[in-house]
Amino acid sequence: MEFDLKTIEALAPDQASLSAASKLTKRSNWPRLEKNEQQALIWGECQGSGSNPYRVVVDTGDHSYKCTCPSRKFPCKHTLALMWIAATAPASFAAAESIPEWVNDWLGRRRKTTPAPGQPTSGAAAKSIDEAARTDESAAVEDVAAVERREAAQRKRAGDTREAVSAALDELDQWIADQLRLGLSGFVDGSSDRCRRIAARLVDMKATALAGRIDEIPPRLMALRSEERPDAAIRELGKLVLLAKAWRSAPDDPELKRLVSTSETREQVLANPNARQVESFWEVLGEKIESRRDGLVSHSTWLLDLKSTTPKFAVLLDYFPASAGRRSNAFAPGDRFDARLVFYPSRKPLRALVAERMGEVMSGAWPDFSFGAAKDPLATHASYQDAAPWITDCPLMLPPGAILVDDRGTGWWQAADDPQGIALPIAGAVNQTLLGLDLAATAALWDGARLDLLAAQSGFGRLDLS
Amino acid sequence: MNEGEQTGLATMRDCWITGGATFDLAPTAWKTIAGGASPDEQERRLLAIAAQALDVALRPAAPKTLKRRPPLPRLALPMLPERLRPLLRAALKHGVDARRKTRVVTLVASRGFVLHPMDWMPVASDQNSPDVYAPWIDWQASVDGERHAPQEKLTAENWDEFYPAARRIALADMRRSGPASARLLVEAKASGEPAEVRLALIELMRFGLNPEDAPFLKSLSADRSGKVRELAGRLLARLGEHGRSNDGGPGDPAAELAAFISEGKSGFIRRRSIYTPAKLKSPAQEKRRAELFETCNLVDLAARFSATEPEFIGAWQFGADNNADILIARMVAASGSDAAVTHMADALVADGGKPALFVLHLTPRLDSRRKRVLVRLILKDSKYLGALNLAEGIEASWLEWGDLTNGQTLPALRSAVAGNDDIVKRGIDEILETMGFLATAATAEKLIEDVVAAGMPPAAPSLVLLRLNASLAGGLEPTRDQSGEQQNERSHPPPCRAGLRL
Repeated sequence: MEFDLKTIEALAPDQASLSAASKLTKRSNWPRLEKNEQQALIWGECQGSGSNPYRVVVDTGDHSYKCTCPSRKFPCKHTLALMWIAATAPASFAAAESIPEWVNDWLGRRRKTTPAPGQPTSGAAAKSIDEAARTDESAAVEDVAAVERREAAQRKRAGDTREAVSAALDELDQWIADQLRLGLSGFVDGSSDRCRRIAARLVDMKATALAGRIDEIPPRLMALRSEERPDAAIRELGKLVLLAKAWRSAPDDPELKRLVSTSETREQVLANPNARQVESFWEVLGEKIESRRDGLVSHSTWLLDLKSTTPKFAVLLDYFPASAGRRSNAFAPGDRFDARLVFYPSRKPLRALVAERMGEVMSGAWPDFSFGAAKDPLATHASYQDAAPWITDCPLMLPPGAILVDDRGTGWWQAADDPQGIALPIAGAVNQTLLGLDLAATAALWDGARLDLLAAQSGFGRLDLS
Repeated sequence: MNEGEQTGLATMRDCWITGGATFDLAPTAWKTIAGGASPDEQERRLLAIAAQALDVALRPAAPKTLKRRPPLPRLALPMLPERLRPLLRAALKHGVDARRKTRVVTLVASRGFVLHPMDWMPVASDQNSPDVYAPWIDWQASVDGERHAPQEKLTAENWDEFYPAARRIALADMRRSGPASARLLVEAKASGEPAEVRLALIELMRFGLNPEDAPFLKSLSADRSGKVRELAGRLLARLGEHGRSNDGGPGDPAAELAAFISEGKSGFIRRRSIYTPAKLKSPAQEKRRAELFETCNLVDLAARFSATEPEFIGAWQFGADNNADILIARMVAASGSDAAVTHMADALVADGGKPALFVLHLTPRLDSRRKRVLVRLILKDSKYLGALNLAEGIEASWLEWGDLTNGQTLPALRSAVAGNDDIVKRGIDEILETMGFLATAATAEKLIEDVVAAGMPPAAPSLVLLRLNASLAGGLEPTRDQSGEQQNERSHPPPCRAGLRL
C-alpha cells in the first residue's frame, strides 16, 4: 500500500473532507477492510447513517477509487478515510483470497474505458476465433443503412462545426481590428467586458476553447504593471491572429482544433497512434491551480522527465467546476513516479496523460542537465515560439542562478555566471529565504513577461516554489 | 531584430495604444509581409509580427539596482530527511502560534536535525529557537549582509564582527565556562550599545551569577535605562544584595508591601513565624499589591521581617490567597537567590497537590532535574494536566512510557478520548501535543497506539507531533548535511545544543 498522509492531503477536495475523513478512521466504522496485494486493491465497507454500509474501493497503484455514497465531492470522505487507514494502520486490512463481486464490477468498468495502450483494442488478431466470429456476426446484423445515416450525420455535424468556427474566427478577426482602431489603451481598461462579449459570441459559434482563452486575457493583463499591459495586449492579440490563421490553413490539425474548438477525450488520445509515448521517471515540479472566469478551475501539474539528459517537461491538465470545491490528482510537488505518459499530439508536445503508472521512485537530485555554453535562458521559449507561436506559457529549466530584488521589491532571476546579463522578472511575491540561496537549477514557466517558479535545486536540496 | 525594426515597433506600439493604422510606420520588411491585403488585415498581420517580436526578440530590461542577499549560512546539523518533511510541515501547520512552532523546531533539534529553510525560518528577533539556528537569525537581521561572524572566540577586538544572536550565544557560553572574562567583556562593551542590546547583554549575567559580579551590577544603578537598572537590581538581589538603602521610610516599597502581609506565630512547643497575605478591601489594593510584588526584591521583603529568604519562603502560608501565592512565586523567580528558588520548588513539590503548580512560575530558574520532577508530578495526578502547557523551558524528548503509566494520566486520556465531551477533547488535544514534545520516540509511538486503541482517529491532527516524534527514532536513512556530504545512519544523533535559547 503506497499511501502517505501527504498524498491523501493532495487528493482531498477540501479541508472539510479531510476533517470528516479523519473522524471515520476509527476501526469501529469499518466492519470490513480487505486488500489484494497482487491487484494493488484495498476495499472496505463503511457504516454510514443508512442501513447498508457504503462500499469503497481504492486502487493503490494509480490512486483511483469508487464509493457508493451519494457525495458529490471526489474523493469522498469514505474514500479518504480508507486511504488514511491504509497509510496509518495498514495491518487493519485482511488479505482476501477472492475479490468481491462489486469490486470486480468496478474493475471491469475501468478496464473498458481505459484499455492498456500497446495492446490492440480492436481487430481480429486480438480476439479469439469465437469472439471474432461473434463480433462479425453482430456486425453483419447491424443495419448498414443505419451506419451510413450515422456517419453522414457525423460528417454533417463536423462540417457545420467547421463552418461555425470559421465564422467565429471571422468575427474574432474583425474584433481584433476594432481593438487596434479604438486603441489598446481603451482595450486594456475595458478588457474585462470586451473579452467577455467576444468570448460569449465564440461559444455560441462553437469556438469554445478559444473563447476560454480570450476570457482569461484580462486577468493576465491585470497581473502586470500598468506600463507593461499594452505590450502584453499586443502579444495576446497577436497570438490570436496567428492561431486563427493557422486553424484556417489546417482546420483538422489536432493541436489547432484543441486550441480553437474542442479537445479530444482521454480515450481518443490513448488510442491515437500518433500520440507520443514516453516511459520514464517523472518528478512533480509543481502545480498551478487557477479559477477561471468561466467558472472552471484549471489544475496543471507540471512534470520533469528524470531520465532525459536535456530538460523535458509534461503537464497534466484538468478542468473542473469551481463549485465542486478543491480537487486534486494524486500528485504532490516533489513526488516521483515511474510511468508511461501519452502526449496530446502537437508541435511541441507538453500536455499528457498518465497511461500507466508503475510505482514510486526514490527522491534525489535532478539529472545534470549540463546547460553548456547556451547563454540565453529563454532559448527554449524561442524554440517553442518558432514551432507554435500561439503558446503562452513555456516551461524552462534555468541554469545556475540566484534571485535578486529590485527597489520595488520585485524578484528577478539572474544567471550566476552572468551578473550583468539578462535577468527575468518573477511573478508574485518572493519568499525572502529564497534570496539567500544559490539555485543550481530552476524550473519555471515563462509567459513572455514573468517567470512563474515551479521548483529548484539548491545546496539545501529541492525547493518547492509553486 | 535590428535597430530600425526596434524603432518601428516602438512607433507602432505607441500608435496602437492610442488607436489607428500603423502600416505606414512599420519597418520595410514587415510591410512586405503585411502588404497586399485589406487595411484591417494589414494591421492584424503587423500585430502578429509585433507579438512575435516582443516575445522572442526583446528581453526584459533589469534595473541596475538589483540587490542580492548574502548566502544563507549553513547550520551545524544535518537537515531533516526529505521523507519526514511533509509530517514536519503538518506539525508546523498545527502549531498555530510561535511558541508551539518553536516546540516543533526544538524537538527536531533535540534529535540532531535542523529544518529546511523553506519549511521554517526564525525571525530576526527570535530568542527562543535552539542555538543551532543563530546563524539564520543573524542572517535575517542582517541588512547589508557584508559581515560574517568569525569562527574564533568573541573578544573586545572582534566584538563588532559578531551579529547579535551569535554574540549572545558566545557570551552565554563564556559565562558558563569563565564568568569573569565574560563579565569583563560586557563591562567593556555594553555601555556602547543601545538600551535594548544592553539589556539583553546584562541579562546574560544570570548564567554563572556570582558575588564577583556584584560591583559591576551595582555600577549599573546609574544606567540611563530604567529597565537595565531594574534588571541589575534583580540580579543583585539574587546575590543577596539589598536593592535599596531606604530603611522603612514612607517611600520604601518593601515596607509598603510588608504592610500587605500579616506576621503570625504557629506551633505549641516550638513557636515559629508564619506569613499570611492580609485580606484586601478593594481592587485598588489588589492592584497596588501586584505592582509592589513586581517591583520589590525578595531579599528586601524578607529583611522587612528580619528573616532570610528561605525562612521567609518556608513560613509563607500557601493556599490562603491564590493571587498572592502566584505573585510571590513570580517574585521569587525574578529576584530570589538560587537557594530560595530551589527551597521553594522542593517544598511545594513535596507538598504536592495544587500548590505544587506554583512551581510552574519558577521553571525558568529551575534545573532540568527539578523541571522533570515537576512534570512527572503533574502527570501523576490527572487533575492538573492542563498545567503542563504553562511550563517554560522544559527540554524535549525525555518522557518515558513509565512516566505516563505511573499515575492517572493514561487512564484519564483514554476515558477522555472515548467520551463525547468536546471541551475535554480539545484539552486532550493540547496535552497530546505537549506529549509530542516531551516524549521519547518509543513513548510517542506507544502513546499513539494507546489513544488510537481508545478511539482517537488515527489521523487526528493532535497526533501529528507525536507521529513526527516517533518517526524521528533511530535508523533514519542516510541523509545529507548542509555541506552536501552524505552522512552515515544516525541512530543516535550526537548531542546538540538544542536547549532553549537565552
